[in-house]
Amino acid sequence: MSAVLQQLVSQPYKHGFVTDIESDTAPRGLSEDVIRMISARKGEPDWLLQFRLDAYRHWLTMTAPTWQNVSHPPIDYQDIIYYSAPKPKKKLASMDEVDPELLKTFEKLGVPMNERAALAGVAVDVIFDSVSVATTYKAKLAEVGIIFCSISEAVRDHPELIRKYLGSVVPTGDNFYAALNSAVFTDGSFVFIPKGVKCPMDLSTYFRINTQDSGQFERTLIVAEEGSSVSYLEGCTAPKFDTNQLHAAVVELVALDDADIKYSTVQNWYAGDENGVGGIYNFVTKRGLCQGRHSKISWTQVETGSAITWKYPSCVLLGEGSSGEFYSVALTNHMQQADTGTKMIHVGRNTRSRIVSKGISAGRSSNSYRGLVKIGAAADGARNYSQCDSMLIGDRCSASTFPYLTVQNRASVVEHEATTSKIGEEQLFYFAQRGIDAEQAISMIINGFCRDVFIHLPMEFAVEATKLLGLKLEGSVG
Amino acid sequence: MVAIPLPALGSQALPPVPGAAAAAGLAEVVEAARAAAGRLPVPTPHDEAWRFTDLSPLARQPWQVDSGAAPTLDAARLAPLELDEAADARLVFVDGRFAPVLSSTAALPSGVRVGALAAMLADGGPAVREHLGRHAAFDVDFFSAVNTARLGEGAAVVCARGVQVPGAVHLLFLSTGRSAPLAIQPRVLVVAGEGSELTVVEEYASLGDSMVFTNAVTECVVEPGATLRHVRLQRENAVSFHVGRCAVSVARDARYRSVAVDIGARLSRLDHAVTLAGEGAEVTRDGLALLDARQHADSHTLLDHAKPHGTSRQLHKCVCDGGSHAVFNGRILVRPDAQRTDSSQQSRALLLSARAQVNAKPQLEIHADDVKAAHGATVGQLDADERFYLASRGLPADQARRLLTYAFAAEVIERIPVRSLVGRLAAQVMARSGL
Repeated sequence: MSAVLQQLVSQPYKHGFVTDIESDTAPRGLSEDVIRMISARKGEPDWLLQFRLDAYRHWLTMTAPTWQNVSHPPIDYQDIIYYSAPKPKKKLASMDEVDPELLKTFEKLGVPMNERAALAGVAVDVIFDSVSVATTYKAKLAEVGIIFCSISEAVRDHPELIRKYLGSVVPTGDNFYAALNSAVFTDGSFVFIPKGVKCPMDLSTYFRINTQDSGQFERTLIVAEEGSSVSYLEGCTAPKFDTNQLHAAVVELVALDDADIKYSTVQNWYAGDENGVGGIYNFVTKRGLCQGRHSKISWTQVETGSAITWKYPSCVLLGEGSSGEFYSVALTNHMQQADTGTKMIHVGRNTRSRIVSKGISAGRSSNSYRGLVKIGAAADGARNYSQCDSMLIGDRCSASTFPYLTVQNRASVVEHEATTSKIGEEQLFYFAQRGIDAEQAISMIINGFCRDVFIHLPMEFAVEATKLLGLKLEGSVG
Repeated sequence: MVAIPLPALGSQALPPVPGAAAAAGLAEVVEAARAAAGRLPVPTPHDEAWRFTDLSPLARQPWQVDSGAAPTLDAARLAPLELDEAADARLVFVDGRFAPVLSSTAALPSGVRVGALAAMLADGGPAVREHLGRHAAFDVDFFSAVNTARLGEGAAVVCARGVQVPGAVHLLFLSTGRSAPLAIQPRVLVVAGEGSELTVVEEYASLGDSMVFTNAVTECVVEPGATLRHVRLQRENAVSFHVGRCAVSVARDARYRSVAVDIGARLSRLDHAVTLAGEGAEVTRDGLALLDARQHADSHTLLDHAKPHGTSRQLHKCVCDGGSHAVFNGRILVRPDAQRTDSSQQSRALLLSARAQVNAKPQLEIHADDVKAAHGATVGQLDADERFYLASRGLPADQARRLLTYAFAAEVIERIPVRSLVGRLAAQVMARSGL
């Protein structure tokens, strides 16, 4: 049986391929000159250059944090290419003009573009190595006043919005990697949902890392005005190669009165081989600000890739009656490391938060949940419930839970629960009795274990996630 | 008498420690601890383990290291502290020094040796020398290093193989504050021999209002098949500082049942580390912090499952009134070999005042797969249903609140295996709740 498991766990990476496209890249390393070059290349206004330089100067004074439960060789920040863009050809009027190589890549990944995009009802803003190449459904969204474009376009077309909100949730000096991102971010997505508008479709961006050694520093900003709502999907795959890649994205969400933002992620980047060689370092700062009364931000994530996943999608619950949710499945296998969780900062009265985290570790991996629930002195009537479950597959992996509960208000209630379990021989035997083989049984057990999270994923993602976990664990139980 | 700043408390240039001569046989350990105490900085909130506990008021204060007075006391002041279960099974320390006239071990059966560290090192058998200073790691911990560097005064309890000790052994560390501010370094070693059964009450209390810094280190060794019941009670006055380290090693099929109660001190910190070092070890570790006014209590527990088939149960409760601050960090570690571990931890905190605050961190680190581990933590107020129930029986809201607060704390107090202590603490909590 363990042989089956072994085989299941050691499935090769299915999205491993490098697309050969010419890139216009910056020299290795980071300096004010590089930042000025990035800014100039992108034709940015002065204030944005200043924003970058402030972040860079702040970054220089900071040291990389060491408290996380992951280990990796020190990162040489002067050995990273901070800018790489596909050669700017002429402006693209339609999908036909997009580089066929690129389209082929998307096809391999199953990105629903063109007609497929229409059928899937998904507007895809594709980020390919830092510059937006094609955007669909823009017109349809524009009809209702929704802005969905790359950050570079937004800087050009809606500077007042960017200036107002960029860095408002994650300040330039927030943490080491956020400062780095603020200095060198190359592109990303911008979503603006005007007052009272319910976004008619799920917005989706596929990020894709290409060009060996180019660190990716995306910046995502979503603003939902009063009474609006939006569901945003982020999915990732990456080509397979040997050098570690640093990925330090920043995602900022702002929800005004009665607004509702749902942010879903499926992450399946290259995790390195079974000995831990290669793979992406995914160090991301994600934070949402529930600024308005009764606003809501919900994070759902399925983390299955990356050599190291290190992120804490957070909610700052400022508005009275606002609520934050975090639903997470993190799966690690082989030598993968994950230190992920959330922060729920309750500032306003009657704020609510809910955390459901499911960690699955297999192989020799290490999977940690780290979370903070903070109830401020003014957050009367605040309520939090957290549940963190871990599942271990095999006896060489580890699962840890580090929940920080800080309560400064007596009129509030915080509850935290955690359990650890395993897939036992007995469970598998039970399935076998009923004619269900180990592989299927594992898939069913895992899906049952993760059900509380999967039900919060949008339909397409839920299907994909279920398959993904099955795929990732194939051969790992016994 | 000279006052010494905290960082220098463990260094060599101090007046000789009372009873230090007896520690001569442990010269190597003391020497290493001295070196560590000189090398290690006083922890600050920048250290993860001290994140919520700021020691600067302690670090600012220079300390006397010896009261200079004879360790004695009016017997009438001692009477209210005596335990029925431990009559003539008691060691009393006054201002850090052993008080033979107040102590008596006449009631103890043969086979159990209880005495001041100095005497026990001289003729308490090999167990004392074998275990003293071997369990509480001082190479990474400033406070353990200081205590070990000043090794001298303290108590040792050694229970021989198969001996069952009725009642309890009471180790009472009192401070009178005759020479304040005074820093004392109590040391306790308990060895429960194979198959023996023993109850030890370790108590720290103040008999005055002056400031004392107690830096206590306790080491417990529970040998195969033995049962050790350990009560640790800290009720020093509200201007004092208390730092405690308690390192416990539990061998194969042995049981360790402990209750730690913190109701005193301005700032207290207890690091209780229990290693389940043998297969089938069983541990319960319960804790209560009952705080008011400006009190700060920080409790760090570690249940280290190093071997298979271990069981641990933990209940920790905090009651915070006034502007008090409770910290609980409960770490459960299951090492790669410790298959079939069954571990559970509950942490409950009750906030009674708008200015009180709690930091709780129940922490699980699991490195084995065939394990049952669970923890739960809640922070909140009294349950609305319970209040309603009492209201429906005609109890005024205020009285209902007091009763429920008492009941909340009583759950831990009642787990203390010494009846007279349960009664005394319960009365104290009732008085505090205004019942």
